[in-house]
Amino acid sequence: MAIKVQVPTPMREAAGGNAEVAVAGATVKDALADLVRQYPALQSKLFDGGKVRPYVNIFVNDEDIRYLDELDTAVQDGVTVALIPAVAGG
Amino acid sequence: MSDISPETNPLDRYSRQMRFPGMGKAGQQKLLASRVTLCGCGALGTVLANVLVRAGVGFIRVVDRDFVEPSNLQRQVLFDESDVADNLPKAEAAATKMRQINSTVTVEPVVADIDRTNIEDLTRDADLILDGSDNFEVRYLINDVAVKHGKPWVYGGAVGSQGMSMTILPGETPCLRCVFEAAPNPGDVGTCETAGVLAPTVNIVASYQATEALKILSGNLAAVNRELLTLDVWENTNRRVKVAPLKGRKGECPCCAKRQFEWLDGAHGTQTTTLCGRNAVQVSHRAANRLDFDQLAATLRASGAVTFNKFLLKFNVEEKGDPFEFTVFPDGRAIIKGTSEPDRARTLYAKYVGH
Ligand SMILES: [Zn+2]
Repeated sequence: MAIKVQVPTPMREAAGGNAEVAVAGATVKDALADLVRQYPALQSKLFDGGKVRPYVNIFVNDEDIRYLDELDTAVQDGVTVALIPAVAGG
Repeated sequence: MSDISPETNPLDRYSRQMRFPGMGKAGQQKLLASRVTLCGCGALGTVLANVLVRAGVGFIRVVDRDFVEPSNLQRQVLFDESDVADNLPKAEAAATKMRQINSTVTVEPVVADIDRTNIEDLTRDADLILDGSDNFEVRYLINDVAVKHGKPWVYGGAVGSQGMSMTILPGETPCLRCVFEAAPNPGDVGTCETAGVLAPTVNIVASYQATEALKILSGNLAAVNRELLTLDVWENTNRRVKVAPLKGRKGECPCCAKRQFEWLDGAHGTQTTTLCGRNAVQVSHRAANRLDFDQLAATLRASGAVTFNKFLLKFNVEEKGDPFEFTVFPDGRAIIKGTSEPDRARTLYAKYVGH
């Protein structure tokens, strides 16, 4: 078992078309680093100068990391990390 | 005459809704006494307007800057081909349909672009603000005005098969900026133009928003969804992610914690908006007086084809082989089709409309 990262539709092209990517790591930061290592095109979609883009929210098992330990939030095999950007249209 | 004449028993038409335990006659009477401002009447907005007017919300102000186009008909449920043929503004076309659906409530159409100069006037008397817009500039403005004046509002967004909704009860739940600190750039997340949009996506998102509106207006605040709803109708997902603890973001939310209303105060916001779903840019210019279309048309005819009615003026022109279509409104605002570049639109506007 690994950590599952759910990739939102607008970022899938940069993730090789995958909706879900298996990654490894002890924190959200590590997990995202592994994701970007596998799919380097995601770097600029997710980060802006080392910071997560402000309209992309990160949830670990449906909990927002901003009230957990931010990027240092611990993760282990079996958890789901969801990247959820704001939905603009309407 | 039909036997549902409003004179016979004004509440009969709401009998099924009143039978629902959460609503009852008391809830219905609250709906009838309530006032809503609907910001935007496109895909989400027409669904919201349809539900609210049928439900008997007593006063609905419908604000929209656009006019009905053929590509709207796939999902914008209150419009039909005759509205396109008549070049009607969406707010006016929607109001006509809404009054046909329910003549016993008040509908106030407003053809205007929502910006920081008018949003307080448009929402001052409203019990609830509903987001029927297609862009984050308007949503942050709504968020500012709602938090400033302590009014509930309901965000909805839809692109492709994905949707999202969140209810903001100022002082009780996180505000939009607690959850989304900044607006996405159109190129970074999908837009209706790049990703398209399915009618069921907007219908479902707007139906969730409308349900929240019915809860709030009927006094059922305990039933309100205080989390972020996110769904994908194509991938069969529907979940609520937990955002309630983000409220005030540890005292750092500029809007609801620090009460800095940056969008309302004009620290943010631009004079151009790239429109979702079209190769078009809107240029907002606050004219001191309403435009004189007769005079403008006379000037523009030297450069291209011009038609106008009392709501809008259309002007087609070619520049360096590129065709552009201007739609100009009496308040000086223009939608320029044929470019998605704000700078080019600004230049075109300055050249043909002025300033
Ligand atoms: Zn806030």
